[in-house]
Amino acid sequence: MTEAKTVDATLRALLADVLGLGEARAAALTEGSGLFGELPEFDSMAVATVLTEMEDRLGILIDDDEIDGEIFETYGNLLAFSLRKVTD
Amino acid sequence: MSEHRLRIEPAGTPRATILIVPPLFEEANRTRRTLVLAMRALAAEGFAAVLPDLPGQNESLVPLERVDLVGWQDAVAQIAAAIEGPVIIASVRGGALVDHQAEAEAWWRLAPIGGASLLRTLMRARVGADREAGVASSLDSLQEEAKTASLLLAGNRLSSAMIAQLGVSEPQAVAPLRSVGLGADGIAGTPLWLRAEPDEDAAMAAAIAADISIWSKTCGIS
Repeated sequence: MTEAKTVDATLRALLADVLGLGEARAAALTEGSGLFGELPEFDSMAVATVLTEMEDRLGILIDDDEIDGEIFETYGNLLAFSLRKVTD
Repeated sequence: MSEHRLRIEPAGTPRATILIVPPLFEEANRTRRTLVLAMRALAAEGFAAVLPDLPGQNESLVPLERVDLVGWQDAVAQIAAAIEGPVIIASVRGGALVDHQAEAEAWWRLAPIGGASLLRTLMRARVGADREAGVASSLDSLQEEAKTASLLLAGNRLSSAMIAQLGVSEPQAVAPLRSVGLGADGIAGTPLWLRAEPDEDAAMAAAIAADISIWSKTCGIS
């Protein structure tokens, strides 16, 4: 797998774990799929959990000032942010 | 003050008592149902199973602000000491941070985690809630504030001592220990402790009970 595919798979598994999406719903997420504000399970506690799990599973560190509302707007935004952090 | 303990008995004399040390804070609620299912499966295998409330958690009347990890370590040690017969301590996630002061025949840990990671998630939830309320805070500003005052983090009022201890706490060496994660060479299941909406998993509970049962035999408990 390329790095981008690994990050994508890690991120889908992580969202499935935190939001209880199940494999099918997690696999069906597209770049345009809405997250925060769209998925009822995605509250501020879930956002906090996702950030810590992203750090653990992707081996990255995320600062407060890197996080804005846009990152969690869509799956595509979250994936782009993760890829940027992993390749930094 | 004596805390509530959920105890499930087997038919006949227990082979041993499995003392479950639950995850900490919200993770305890997310896993409780599945852990109790695992306790029932353990009882069917001839074990007694005990799930205590840590002071300040679940049904406890002690304010959470008054407890810290050292207090929880003492509480687990006292509970273990009061159990008759062999004891196996089974801790889950942050429970592994408070299970090492107790005396036991063996330890079993599921997905043990450092305190810093738990604290980071709690603080992030607070930063997020502050942001929604139009208050500017950050992980750094909260760390600074916690040096002199308690903090309300995702519904948990934690003392300065608790926050300081969590920040540096790691699971400690105990023996004999079986430490398992999730997945093919561990417990088949999903990390219910992360779940935004609580869920239960009977198959995972059965896998937990089976793994503890096999480990107890390895440790010489028949």
